[in-house]
Amino acid sequence: MRIVSWLERRRLDDDDFRDEIRAHLAIAAQERMADGADPKSAQLAALKEFGNVALTTEAARRVWVPAWLEALRDYASDARYAVRVLAKSPAFALAVIAVLTLGIGLNAAVFTMLKSMALTPLAGIERSSQLGVVVNETEKGRKVGLSYHDYQYVRDHDRAFSGLAAAAVAAVNLGRGRSARPIYAELVSGNYFQVLGVRAARGRTLLPSDEIAPGRHPFAVITEGFWRRDFGADPDVVGRTIEINNYRLTVVGVADSTFHGTIVGYDDEVFVPLMMAPQLGINLGSLQNGRPSDLLADRGAGVLDVLGHLRPGVSFANAGAQIAALSATLSRDAALTDTAQRLKVIRIWQSPYGGQTFLLPALTVLGAMGLLVLTIACANIAGLVLVRGVSRRGEIAVRLALGATRARIVRLLVLENLVLAAPGALLGVLLAWRGIPILTGAADALAAPQRLFFNIQIDRLVIAFSALVACGSALVFGFVPALRSSRIDLVSAINEDSSPRGAARGRLRAGLVVAQVAVSLLLLVGAGLVTRSLEAARQVNPGFDASHVTAVALDVRANGYSEARGRVFFRHLLDAARADSRVESATLASTTPLNLIGTREQQVAIDGYTPRRDEDLGFPVNTIGPDYFRTLRIGLAAGRAFDDRDGEGGAPVVVVNDTLAAKFFGGAAQAIGRRIRVGTGEWRTVIGVAADVKYSQIDEAPQPYVYLPFFQAYRSSMTLHTRGAAPVDVLVDQARARIAALDPELPLIHAKPLAQETRGATIILEFMSFMLFVFGAAGMALAGLGLYGLVSYTVKERTHEIGIRMALGASGRSVVRDFLVRGVRLGAVGAALGGVAALGTSRVLASVLFGVSATDAVSFARALAIVLGGVVAATLVPAWRASRTSPLSALRHQ
Amino acid sequence: MTLHSSRSDSRADLVHGTLDMLILRTLQWGPQHGYAIGQTIRAQSSDVLQVEAGSLYPALQRLAKKGWVTAKWGQTDANQRAKFYRLTPEGKKQLVREESRWTELVNAIAQVMKPAAPAEE
Repeated sequence: MRIVSWLERRRLDDDDFRDEIRAHLAIAAQERMADGADPKSAQLAALKEFGNVALTTEAARRVWVPAWLEALRDYASDARYAVRVLAKSPAFALAVIAVLTLGIGLNAAVFTMLKSMALTPLAGIERSSQLGVVVNETEKGRKVGLSYHDYQYVRDHDRAFSGLAAAAVAAVNLGRGRSARPIYAELVSGNYFQVLGVRAARGRTLLPSDEIAPGRHPFAVITEGFWRRDFGADPDVVGRTIEINNYRLTVVGVADSTFHGTIVGYDDEVFVPLMMAPQLGINLGSLQNGRPSDLLADRGAGVLDVLGHLRPGVSFANAGAQIAALSATLSRDAALTDTAQRLKVIRIWQSPYGGQTFLLPALTVLGAMGLLVLTIACANIAGLVLVRGVSRRGEIAVRLALGATRARIVRLLVLENLVLAAPGALLGVLLAWRGIPILTGAADALAAPQRLFFNIQIDRLVIAFSALVACGSALVFGFVPALRSSRIDLVSAINEDSSPRGAARGRLRAGLVVAQVAVSLLLLVGAGLVTRSLEAARQVNPGFDASHVTAVALDVRANGYSEARGRVFFRHLLDAARADSRVESATLASTTPLNLIGTREQQVAIDGYTPRRDEDLGFPVNTIGPDYFRTLRIGLAAGRAFDDRDGEGGAPVVVVNDTLAAKFFGGAAQAIGRRIRVGTGEWRTVIGVAADVKYSQIDEAPQPYVYLPFFQAYRSSMTLHTRGAAPVDVLVDQARARIAALDPELPLIHAKPLAQETRGATIILEFMSFMLFVFGAAGMALAGLGLYGLVSYTVKERTHEIGIRMALGASGRSVVRDFLVRGVRLGAVGAALGGVAALGTSRVLASVLFGVSATDAVSFARALAIVLGGVVAATLVPAWRASRTSPLSALRHQ
Repeated sequence: MTLHSSRSDSRADLVHGTLDMLILRTLQWGPQHGYAIGQTIRAQSSDVLQVEAGSLYPALQRLAKKGWVTAKWGQTDANQRAKFYRLTPEGKKQLVREESRWTELVNAIAQVMKPAAPAEE
């Protein structure tokens, strides 16, 4: 109300002003009448003397308008004019908008993903980027979680956090039998929901009272998504039961609708008290003496993600120091025998758990590539703007002649560019908005049937970022050319003298060509390196053959099997599979190869080998059934594979891989008959040496590996591999049916082709190379168009000169050669600069490369050939056309 | 399209400033209405300075906005309704400032136009 009245006072009172003018006219007329004029002519004369009433009123009104509002009106009118001018050359406007849309869209998409990882990693939790994660750093620098014992110690003694919760994600089986579905569940501490500040939308959350005694808290909290999908949004869901790994849990509540758990990238659907881990048969790969261990009792089971908000006023450095001090006392009070404890505090995005571990490096590279594409787009548009500036010399000259200042012209031209950038930004955000679901959809399809969740939102931050990028690029591509265009020789411009003038403009254009070539080269080298990585990864022989092999994971403990019953069950399962004529061979394994996660390592003692001080003899151990090497087609370097002799009563035996044999026994043949010991178990005789396999990642270095025979080292959780000639999906169905025939109540953890299991190892490379191909192709197309435009414009500008030269007897060929030399020279300068930049920055790529060095000559050569080819093509076509123009028409053009 | 804003133009500032000064000066002898101000300036400059209404009224608004004059409706001697402008104390101070600035300027221009007799051969 007050503002309105203030505005009233601060503006011209129109009625009052009209009265005043009326009075003025009346007085003037009266004076004339006093001099003897008749009323009518007196009035007319007064009006005539007064002049334009409307203009005067307008001028008086403007007195009251503040300067900034006036400037705003000026800008608005400039913008209106810019829109009108651009509408007159729609092809130019559309080209620029399209280029910007692509550039800004790519950047907005990458920014959105990065933001979701770093700034808002977890949905449904306030300030989730500020959460601290307590991890244990091993001697090798690897970050691992805490054991339950250590978590309790830290939780009870820490003073830096407001509270510390613990969680561990597990792939579990929901339901029973054929309708069973694998989902991600989080095992959580009792204080989990309170520490994270997540409320229940229905019922209650889990509470500290749900963490009293192992096995005594058969409850679950579910997510809203799960509630809608599996309970049809039943309002009376509280009190109903779900079955996880064949164990009945009562649903006590539905979590807040925005909450999806604490592991980035995973859609965790069910939250179960940590105390229920033994009942659900979840041990997350933790082993003791080759047997699955009890997660709650095993201090070596460092599997818990421990996190919480720092107390107000406590910094990360401060919290880190406090936790480090705590870990010192923890090591003293209750030392772990094998490894020293080094606890650290990190942020979510540095956490060893979740999708960000592999997505962040990939996204960083993509972000760099996106910026390169945008740079090319800007250089491109700068070229277009420059060319347009030349064709608008007449208009600008008239403006200057009428008294416009240079600043005013530059402002107008920059504003024109902003008008161009605005739709680019808008469409770019739209592109990101529509494009990201396609990307995450692809990721979802790969992860199915498990569900993924990324906290991706196009919010104000993304829009602000895009606007900033758009304005920045508008200034970059518009300012310098605008500055140039505003510096015009009035006389020559108005005289329509369009002869090339000013080496400065030529230099700028040459600079643009050089810049575009340099940046394209950089982009192409990056794309080339990643593509070559993928090629290399595809060609790598993983050491096994996954085609026509199933991977059916199950845990017989889920149906309450004792070890004795389990042995009988697996024996029967193998016998039944082998009895089937369609099955070539069948076996069991505790770990599948190329599993991306790695296998828990166990300490191994080698007879006759004394480890050096501090030498780590921890190697991954896989428990396998008979026929394993035959089923996966892994070669044997020496000795034999496990067979039916190696049962419970047989002599203790072991198979090692080539690397272990070579490193500790001096070769495969020498290894046979020697002895090793796994953990605190008995000494075993080496009976075979298997060829090396890629165990967890395609780019791993060879590492020692140990195989134990299943019937001498029983485990309840195994994967059934069968090989046959039939399509692998049929094999998977047969395997399912076989297990159901033995025990219809036994749930499967998953049943799929082995090839699908191992695909994860190359997914990131595939994703990266696809994205870089898109970026590279976009950048190259942009650069090609830009080069063509710039070069052909140069040629056009010199048509006159060409005409004279040809009239004087120069051949068409010499004209073409002249342009070609010039173009290639510029291209070479650009390529040299780009090459140096690529050498300098390819180290960024090293984190995602595989099998090629960051300075791979082939990638550089390829990129160079493409770029120089582009330059030559962009030069040749217009130059050839110029050489074909007849001298007469070229001269007349003037 | 506004090709150039007159606001930032220094020549226009000079003209504005001078007109403002003339108006303030005219009002020194007492309140006057717009028409009379124009007539007074004209008469006192022996018909040389003819202030157009298109400049006069915006100038009066400008002075009112700055608080140098106040306006009030009243009656002329001939019993006509008119808006009378009166100098405020602030306006009087401004007039003194403008006058000294003006004198300075005129002296400076005079010195340039009629140099103090350079030593001629």
